Amino acid sequence: MARFFGVFLLLVACGAAAQEKLAIGIVTSLSGPMAAPGKFQMNGFRLAEEEINSAGGFSVGGKKYLVELKVYDTRANPAEGASAMQRLATVDKVPVVLGELHSGVAAAEAPVAQDYSIPLVLTIPTGPNLTEQGNRFLFRVNANNDQLTQALAEFIAGQAWTPLAFIAWNNDAGRGGVNGMKKLLGEARIGYVGYFNVGEVDFSSHVSNIRAGNARAVMLLMDEEPGSLAIKQIRDAGLKTQLVGTLAMGSDRFLKRLDAQRLEGMVQYNAFPPNAKVPGIRVFSERYRKKYGEEAHGFAAQSYDGLKLTVAALQKAGKIDGRALRDALAAIEYDGVIGHIKFDAKGQAHPPVYVTQWCSDGKRRILYPETLKADCGAG
Amino acid sequence: MLSAVLEQTLNGLMAGSVYVLVALGMVLIYGVMHVLNFAHGVLLMVGAYVCHFFFVRLTGSYPLSILLSAAVLALLGIALERAVFRPLQGNLRNQVIASLGLILVFENLVIALWGPNALQMKVAATAALVPLGEMRFSVQHLLVIAVTLAVVLVLFSFLKFSKFGTAIRATSQDRMAAMVVGIPVERVDWITFGLGTALAALGGALIGPLFIVFPQMGDAPMVKGLAGILLGGMGSVPGAVIGGFIIGIAESVSTVFLPTDYRDSVAFIVMVLILLVWPRGIFGVSVRGED
Repeated sequence: MARFFGVFLLLVACGAAAQEKLAIGIVTSLSGPMAAPGKFQMNGFRLAEEEINSAGGFSVGGKKYLVELKVYDTRANPAEGASAMQRLATVDKVPVVLGELHSGVAAAEAPVAQDYSIPLVLTIPTGPNLTEQGNRFLFRVNANNDQLTQALAEFIAGQAWTPLAFIAWNNDAGRGGVNGMKKLLGEARIGYVGYFNVGEVDFSSHVSNIRAGNARAVMLLMDEEPGSLAIKQIRDAGLKTQLVGTLAMGSDRFLKRLDAQRLEGMVQYNAFPPNAKVPGIRVFSERYRKKYGEEAHGFAAQSYDGLKLTVAALQKAGKIDGRALRDALAAIEYDGVIGHIKFDAKGQAHPPVYVTQWCSDGKRRILYPETLKADCGAG
Repeated sequence: MLSAVLEQTLNGLMAGSVYVLVALGMVLIYGVMHVLNFAHGVLLMVGAYVCHFFFVRLTGSYPLSILLSAAVLALLGIALERAVFRPLQGNLRNQVIASLGLILVFENLVIALWGPNALQMKVAATAALVPLGEMRFSVQHLLVIAVTLAVVLVLFSFLKFSKFGTAIRATSQDRMAAMVVGIPVERVDWITFGLGTALAALGGALIGPLFIVFPQMGDAPMVKGLAGILLGGMGSVPGAVIGGFIIGIAESVSTVFLPTDYRDSVAFIVMVLILLVWPRGIFGVSVRGED
C-alpha cells in the first residue's frame, strides 16, 4: 500500500512539474558580426520567457503551456537563416518563429515561413522591402527604415540645418536612407554625400569635404562602431557641425565609446528611449537593469514585446496552429513597452519613433514627438 | 578649394604612409625570395593586436609597445619563412597559395584569441590636436607620417651603406652571383622576412590608435600597398615608397572632385595609367628571372 501511495505521489509530482512546454522558434545572431546586438535580442526574449513562465504560463484552448525557446544562431548569414527556418518548421514543428537582426537574412527566412504557413515575427530588421513582398506570414514589431527616416525628416524640416551632409554605408541601408531623406527634404537641402564600404575606418576625406562644403549638419547613416569613429574624426578635425545619428547612437553604450563633450548636441532617431517617463518603459527598464545590470536596449524591448504579443495572439487563436495564429496576429492590438502595436495589412507595426538629443552631461532629452518631449535625463 | 586639396593631401599622406610600410615589407621580401606574400596585410593586423596587447595589458607605454610588437612580428616572420616559405622555395604557385592560406589562419586565430569585435586603443599622449590654420590634426595622424618618413630614411641608409644591406641588394639582383661571392643567402632570406613583417607590424601599431583594431584592418592596406608596388616598379624599394604615397594622395585628393564612391577606383586607375606610360612602373627594375 505504502509502495502504491509512493508511486501515486511520484506521478502527481511529475504531472505538476511536467506542465507541457510549447516550443517557440527563435532565429538570432549568437556569433558572427552581429553577435553584440544579438545579445540584446536574446536578453529581451529571455526576460519575456521568464515572466510568462513564472506567472504560470499561458492557456491555449483550455490547456496550460510554458514557453520553451528553440534558439538557432543564423550568424548574419542568409543560408544559415533559411536552413534554421526549415529545421524549425519541419523538425521542431514550432507554430511560430521570432527574431532575426539582419534584413538580408530575414529576406531569406520569410519565404520559408510562408511555405510552411508559420508566422515569422521580426523584432529588429529595418529593411523596408521586407514587408512589401505580400508575405501574409511575415510581421514586424519594430519601425522600419522608412518610418524612422520619416520621423527624423519631419523633425529636421523644422530646423535650420541645411545644407545637410551625409556619411553613409555603401549598402541598402545607407543608400536607401540618403535617398529617403532626399525625397522627404528636397534635393536643394542636401549637401555633400559620401559613402564608405564596410571595414573602412578612415573618414578623413569625408570630413574634409564636409568642411569644404560648409554643411550645417551631417547625418551619419551607420551603426555604432563606424559612428563613433566618424564622430571622433569630425570633432578632432575641429568641425562644429550639428551631428545627426541613427538609433545605434542614442545609448549609454555609445557614450562609453566616446565622451559627453564630443556628443553634446547630437540628435538621433530612436525607437526606445530607456529613461522616458512612460510607465511601460519605466517598468521594463527597471526589470532589465535588475536582471542584466545595464541600461535597457531598444532591441531588447522590441523582442520582449514581440514574444509577449505572440503569446497573447496564441491565446486568442485558441489552438496551436500557424494559420490560426497568423489570423490572430493580424487582428491583435497590443500595448507593449515600445508603444501601441497593431500590424497593418502588410504586417508592419507602427510604434512611435523618437528623436533624442545628447545633453552636456552625457544624458539625453526627447525632442520629438512633441507630445512626449522631455528634458535631460529622460531620453 | 586650395585648402580642401591641401587638407586632402595631408589625409592622403597619412593613408599613404601605411601603404608605404606594407609595400616596403612586401617588396623587400619579393626582392630576395621572389615571392609575393599576400598575408602581409594580415600580419599588419596581427601587429596591431600584439601592440594593443602590450599597451593595454602589460606595459602602458606606447613607444615600447610598438617596439615589442615589431619584435614579436619579426620573430613570427622568421618562423613563417622557415616553416612555410623556405620549404616551398622555387615553387611560386604554392608559395602564393600558402600565403593566401595564412590569411585565413591568422584572421581566425585573432578572432579566437580576441573575439570578433573591434578593440579600441586610446593613447592619451598622441590624442592631442594640432591646429593648422582652420584644420586640426591629431598628433597620432602626424606621427604616422613622421615615423614612416624616418623609417624610409633609415631603411635606405641601411640598404645603401651597411654591409648587410648591400648583401640584401645583391641577393635581390642575382641570387646565384650572390652565393658565388659568399653571401649567406639563406640568412639574407630570413632576416629580410623578419624585417618585412616588422615593418607591417609598425604600420598596424601606428594606425591602431587612430582608428580601431579589428580583424579586417589589414585588407585595404595590403591591396593598396600592392598597387603602390606595381606602380612604383616591381622590386624597387624607392618605387614602393613613391607608389604608396601616390596611391594614398590620389585617392584622397580625388574625393574633392569626384564622389567618394570612386575613391578605390581612382587608386587603381592611377596605377593603370602610370603602367601604360611606364610598363615597368616608375622605378622599373629588371628582376632576376623575370624576362
